[in-house]
Amino acid sequence: MTSMFRPAPLALTITALLTAGCANTPWSAESPSPATKASVVSHYADLAHANYQDALITARALDEATDRLIANPTEANLRAAKDAWLAARVPYQQTEVFRFGNAIVDDWEGQLNAWPLDEGLIDYVKADDYQHELGNGGATANIIANTSVNVGGETLDVTTLTPGLLADLNEIGGSEANVATGYHAVEFLLWGQDLNGFEHGAGERPVTDYAVGAECTNGNCERRGEYLDAVTDLLVSDLDWMVAQWAPGATDNYRAQLTAADANEGVQKMLFGMGSLSLGELAGERMKVALEANSYEDEHDCFSDNTHNSHYYNGKGIQNVYTGTYRRVDGSLVSGPSLSDLVQQTDPELDARLNRQLETSMEALGLMKARAESSSNPMTFDTMIAPGNAEGSRIVNGAIMALVAQTGSIEEAARDLGIEALSPDDAGHAF
Amino acid sequence: MQPITRFLCISTLAATSSLTLASTADTEARQQWHEAIAGGYQALTVETRELSDAARNYCQAPTEKSRTLVESAWLDAFVAWQRVRFVDFGPIETDNLAWQFQFWPDPKNLVARKAGYLLDNDSTITPSVIRESGVAVQGFPMMEYLLFDQEMNTGNNSLPAPHTCELLTNVALHAATNSQTLTDQWSAFKAHYIENELYRDTTIRAGMAALEILEERRLARPMGLSGNGKRNPYITDAWRSGKSLATVEATVIGLQQLYLPGLTLLLESKEETGLANRIRNQFAEVQDNFPGARMPMTAALEADDQYRTLQGLYVDISQLTSLVNDEAAVAIGVVRGFNSSDGD
Repeated sequence: MTSMFRPAPLALTITALLTAGCANTPWSAESPSPATKASVVSHYADLAHANYQDALITARALDEATDRLIANPTEANLRAAKDAWLAARVPYQQTEVFRFGNAIVDDWEGQLNAWPLDEGLIDYVKADDYQHELGNGGATANIIANTSVNVGGETLDVTTLTPGLLADLNEIGGSEANVATGYHAVEFLLWGQDLNGFEHGAGERPVTDYAVGAECTNGNCERRGEYLDAVTDLLVSDLDWMVAQWAPGATDNYRAQLTAADANEGVQKMLFGMGSLSLGELAGERMKVALEANSYEDEHDCFSDNTHNSHYYNGKGIQNVYTGTYRRVDGSLVSGPSLSDLVQQTDPELDARLNRQLETSMEALGLMKARAESSSNPMTFDTMIAPGNAEGSRIVNGAIMALVAQTGSIEEAARDLGIEALSPDDAGHAF
Repeated sequence: MQPITRFLCISTLAATSSLTLASTADTEARQQWHEAIAGGYQALTVETRELSDAARNYCQAPTEKSRTLVESAWLDAFVAWQRVRFVDFGPIETDNLAWQFQFWPDPKNLVARKAGYLLDNDSTITPSVIRESGVAVQGFPMMEYLLFDQEMNTGNNSLPAPHTCELLTNVALHAATNSQTLTDQWSAFKAHYIENELYRDTTIRAGMAALEILEERRLARPMGLSGNGKRNPYITDAWRSGKSLATVEATVIGLQQLYLPGLTLLLESKEETGLANRIRNQFAEVQDNFPGARMPMTAALEADDQYRTLQGLYVDISQLTSLVNDEAAVAIGVVRGFNSSDGD
């Protein structure tokens, strides 16, 4: 970890947790009319809209901070750009719960949040400490150092780095590890390769990688700045597009489509998003694989060592959807009819249990976050998964177990709400 | 995972199970499954013990013959594992035994990285080093890497280098010990398994998940039929030894011998004899692709006529998956919940 990352004091973290806890008062407790599936789906779209708006607001701030860094590469501007990146991750990671279930998000998100990446596609890497995806011809293409790249027989002119070109380069050669765009590309351009393995410490890219003239380190500083400029511009325009998809009042966007469809379909998407992120993705891919294989290559925010926050806010997103609440980056609270209200109507015991389990998961992920950000002897996720780290393993396992437990109740909630085969893909299935 | 598969996942999430349970048939099915799986685990124990012996013999007296023997012992043991691989519940869940046997997929080549780390370090590789080194070190893929990887076999550490031999023999021993533990625990698990009616659906779901993984992850993705649309042999099992498709065959045989009898028993108890027969026939259809399809995945993806053979296998497996996961599951009333392969 670098000095740019200022750990929050433990007390502050606990306060944040308690504040977040307050947001879970069911909307129905204050509202006269009971929640319906239609009102819950409509409010889900409100949540998504607010959440993507926040992702856009913070991405714009990141774009401005990186522009300042490129124009004036000082330590202070590099630190400010990193802080802006970290702040941008807070809302974005909460949106990931919208990804599974809503194909429009899933088809789009690869350009924003694909990982793990073979960073040698983008810029220089230290060859003897770089393990890339097997069979990936683009793993060492180094777009910044070249004006044309050849991946798997495909030659591309990369003389002028524009947002559109980077979008075309993403997943070039068909490899998901060829991530040319999105948060993790920006992260790599700000932090650089993390060469510390299981040891404490994030990437340590010198600010002189953006210096003009003789001070430039590692070559191609101007190109590197152009890349960073283009990739942050693309991030903003991508998020702008997604905000519009969830905006109310339009007749031709995704929200209009979702709210016009059978409300059961929307409820199914909500629950499916929660369950898939909770079990297969967060507990499985992002934590269990990394832990059991002691693989820091499977660390989500590997350059910045911000993985604990990515996990924490993923968990928060799941809780948001169930409780129908979202704490915006400006501190205001969005709340409305929720799945929790619906389940409470039919099975109050299940609702109470699931709410409790979501809280337990947040506490477990909160412990991971607090431990990583602790001012004394912090332990980041890549250290937690190191071989023989009993404490780290206990913390990660605690979060995995809590997520597994809540997923069981999410399945029950789906049954409770009568969610059956509804998707067009199930035509012909005799349910 | 593709959106379509995702929706399929939830589609079965909340279907209600049938009202009357043929509890006698259920118990019989569980007895059938328990015994069959016990046989599978026993075979795995025997084969891994032989592999451990063969590795030790080779490292004590490295000859062309002892090398051939350890390579074929590796394949026999891996095939035995593939036959029981569908069992994702019970003792195999303890200490992530399944991942210890086979850490897969490994897109970042963690196996090579871990091997490099252990081999470049001078300290002795003991059983406790293996126990503490994580799942990428502990199983069949690591042994396959040491025995079959081209780069490994031409480098300074290639077998029978003493340090590499230490790694190979200790990983083999680890797998043999784990197999014995698994066999013992499965036996101790018997009463609980047979008495607990929830294990009916758990067992059926295990086969469903195995078929889904077989169709989607072990065939469609490397074939470029899903995912990013590019053919890629490296995401299959056992690509280093060229045995990817032989392991597919082993998984199918395992399902046929250890899973199918209990499943058809249940279907027949529900007067679904026609469906039971169609599933039996479809297993035979799949098997008719072998030994023709028993080729390295790299070869199958490169040459057109071999690719056609692979396509034939894929179509047969898809049909089998659909018969079991859609028709049989519905007939028996099994609900598919979230599983670990949801996500991407």
